[in-house]
Amino acid sequence: MNSSDEIRADSALKRRDDLPLSGIRVLDLTLVWSGPGATVLLGDLGAEIIKVECTTRATRGVGIVTSKQAAQRGYFAAAFPDSTPEPRAFNRTAVMNGWHGRNKLSVTLPPLESAYGRELFLRLVAISDVVIENNSARVLPKLGLDYDDLRSVNPRIVVVRMAALGLSGPMTHFIGYGPNFNALVGIADMDGYDGEDPITAGENYHMDESSPAGAAFATMAALWERETSGEGQAVEFPQAEHLMHEIGEFIIDAQVNDRSPKALGNSHATMLQNVFPVAETASDDRWIAVSIRTSAEWDALQALVGGEFTPRSFDDVCGAMGGDPVIKELDAWFASQPIDQLVETLQGLRIPAAETLSELQVLADPHLQARGWFRRKYHPETGEHLYLGHPWTADSFDLAHSRPLPAMGEDNEYVYKELLGFSDDEYQAGEAAGFIGVELT
Amino acid sequence: MTGESSSQKQVFNGLRVLDLSRWIPGEFAAKMFADFGADVIKVEKPGEGSLTRHAGPFPGDQPDPERSALFLNLNTNKRSIEVDLSTDEGRSQILALAASSDVVIESFRPGVMEGFGLGWDDLKKVNPKLVFTRISNFGQTGPNAHWEATALTIQAAGGPMRATGAAGRRPHQKPGNLPLYVIGRTAAEATLGALFQVRRRGVGVQIDVSSQEVLLFSGDRRAAYLQNASYSGVNAPRGLRAPHRGLLLPTGPYACKGGFVMLYIAAHFMPRMIELLGNAELIEFYADSDYVDSHPQELWELFHAVLNPWLESHTKEEIMAIAQKANLSITAITSVQDMLKEPHYRDRGVFSSIEHAKAGSLEYPGRPFILTRGGWALTSPAPLRGEHTTSILSEVNP
Repeated sequence: MNSSDEIRADSALKRRDDLPLSGIRVLDLTLVWSGPGATVLLGDLGAEIIKVECTTRATRGVGIVTSKQAAQRGYFAAAFPDSTPEPRAFNRTAVMNGWHGRNKLSVTLPPLESAYGRELFLRLVAISDVVIENNSARVLPKLGLDYDDLRSVNPRIVVVRMAALGLSGPMTHFIGYGPNFNALVGIADMDGYDGEDPITAGENYHMDESSPAGAAFATMAALWERETSGEGQAVEFPQAEHLMHEIGEFIIDAQVNDRSPKALGNSHATMLQNVFPVAETASDDRWIAVSIRTSAEWDALQALVGGEFTPRSFDDVCGAMGGDPVIKELDAWFASQPIDQLVETLQGLRIPAAETLSELQVLADPHLQARGWFRRKYHPETGEHLYLGHPWTADSFDLAHSRPLPAMGEDNEYVYKELLGFSDDEYQAGEAAGFIGVELT
Repeated sequence: MTGESSSQKQVFNGLRVLDLSRWIPGEFAAKMFADFGADVIKVEKPGEGSLTRHAGPFPGDQPDPERSALFLNLNTNKRSIEVDLSTDEGRSQILALAASSDVVIESFRPGVMEGFGLGWDDLKKVNPKLVFTRISNFGQTGPNAHWEATALTIQAAGGPMRATGAAGRRPHQKPGNLPLYVIGRTAAEATLGALFQVRRRGVGVQIDVSSQEVLLFSGDRRAAYLQNASYSGVNAPRGLRAPHRGLLLPTGPYACKGGFVMLYIAAHFMPRMIELLGNAELIEFYADSDYVDSHPQELWELFHAVLNPWLESHTKEEIMAIAQKANLSITAITSVQDMLKEPHYRDRGVFSSIEHAKAGSLEYPGRPFILTRGGWALTSPAPLRGEHTTSILSEVNP
């Protein structure tokens, strides 16, 4: 275990010149999930991500929240260290800052609606490589910050716009959150327990899972093109349409078989699989996911279960759903088994099996510990905690993982003085005017 | 880099990718390069081919490895060569191809490529500037590296599954093959990042994509749930709508006349929603903010007593039109078939058609994003198994 001093040193914001995107500067106007999820990936690769914020707008989904308000909202309170939002909830939120804040910088600008805010933003655009935003299609044009405005100050700028349904067409201005757009691309309609209506589906924010790597890829594709052409470009990233590739087999199936996919729960047409209760289900909500892919695996499982079990052929049990007799019998057997040895026993038989791990189990997982996945980091606004690792690793360079999150306005001095050339007097005037600051007003 | 020309039409023209994968994540990662102009060579097992050829769905549910919708979707714009990786001849062919490639993508179990004599040490000897992207269940190292997994079990270990489903019922997975595509998409992002490193520093990169870790870092709430647990020692609950918001809010799927709609009425939408419903008792209740704060359950019940009959008297299309006009985030739950007819997508040219020798003319999901220059194109359908074996071998050994 590192000492506290080492953790603090490791938690300082570092500039790296050895990474794939070192030297690339990204102005990050994205909010909430999918956009910040994309820019954190670019930051991992060494790009300098500057979150453009404002002291008069709650850009992180939370403004001033008290412990009492948080406590009344149940699980919401868990987003803050020790379930305590104070003193600055917008810095302490895990949901809107903690999981996707690593390596990022934060600057507060005057509102972009103001002439001065727009001017300062354009001065930053002139010395940046990427502007990325996930607002509705109306926002940038209304601010006078459309692609042409940005290109006029920097022809090398790449502008990525993530409006969910794109920048044109009859539904362009439809508003919604991830689940609303999942619904418009066929995903909600196939989500739910086996053979039941979509109203039985659990939470599904798939668009927010699909867009981050896709938008980071799109941004890098435009930067790759720029290496040849020397010019930037506008990139339209319609988040809902973007994820249609992930249901491409159903798009083809609809054409050849005149049908749409139905909710299958945990079942699968060519396997026997489900999430089964175990001995600890009632007490600790622990469950095991098991897939049987072949008749050999099915024979091995039947042998493990033993005598009282009705013998069936693999063909007969493939695709079984929750209410089917074989699932009921397996439910009963699994429910008698303590889970701790069960996963290893099944993996020993080369049968895919895993516990539905809780978050606290993941945080203590020996496999992830052996891979050094979580990092212990410190930030004065949150204290010392574990922060998430990267979605992938490389052997010839270490992805960036320096400061775990930016406090709002934490990098104002760097951005105003080093990038925008503000004098000390000008900087103090900005603080006095309130647009340079670290508090939400 | 092979054959880069000044008349570049697509962003990845001049890149060559060797796709040794046989399942969704690797094939999708390679497709993301193929669709934007890379020369992607799909290496298939002689006589059998990719596993996605055998997974379907198929026309009439009759298995046919040339007409698997999954394979057709994942392998557009690629060429196919049959190579037996376990033979000396096959190994030599792969090494020769790797020497002229920028990227090799594989998703065998850890150790299998080394067993073929095609590990990183072998590959970088023939091409020190290679990007070698390795996709596995739990990563190349660690005590669980050898674990078997399917989309279901990897979601259990990586995804937000324990918090997905109804309270008191079993956790359930995401529909279709969605998580496997996300793993592939992330592998493509990693690969492109590594290509920048090669371009700038001339050193090859081996990438370890652990499917579990991709899902742990997922924006579909698991990453936020993990950070919450780290901060506060609390697990995410199952069976609540939008638990991270922590309020009784009408979010999620609702039944309406003849179908379903998706509501996402965040707190700041509630006044407009209540105004739209126009029920005097509800409006009066909601106007007293102190009472609302102290009686959330009563508001929830009254709200639904008004909402549900309203939903049941309108179709999903009517509800979406009314709600969107009122600036409320409600959309129709749309089937894949209806999505294919949707004028918005038609107007925007979202789908692209191409003729396939065995599967006929079909529409495919088109550009995932729109580049002003160098963008997406559907230039050839998925290859027949081994369709380009002879021509590719003649390029390697002219």
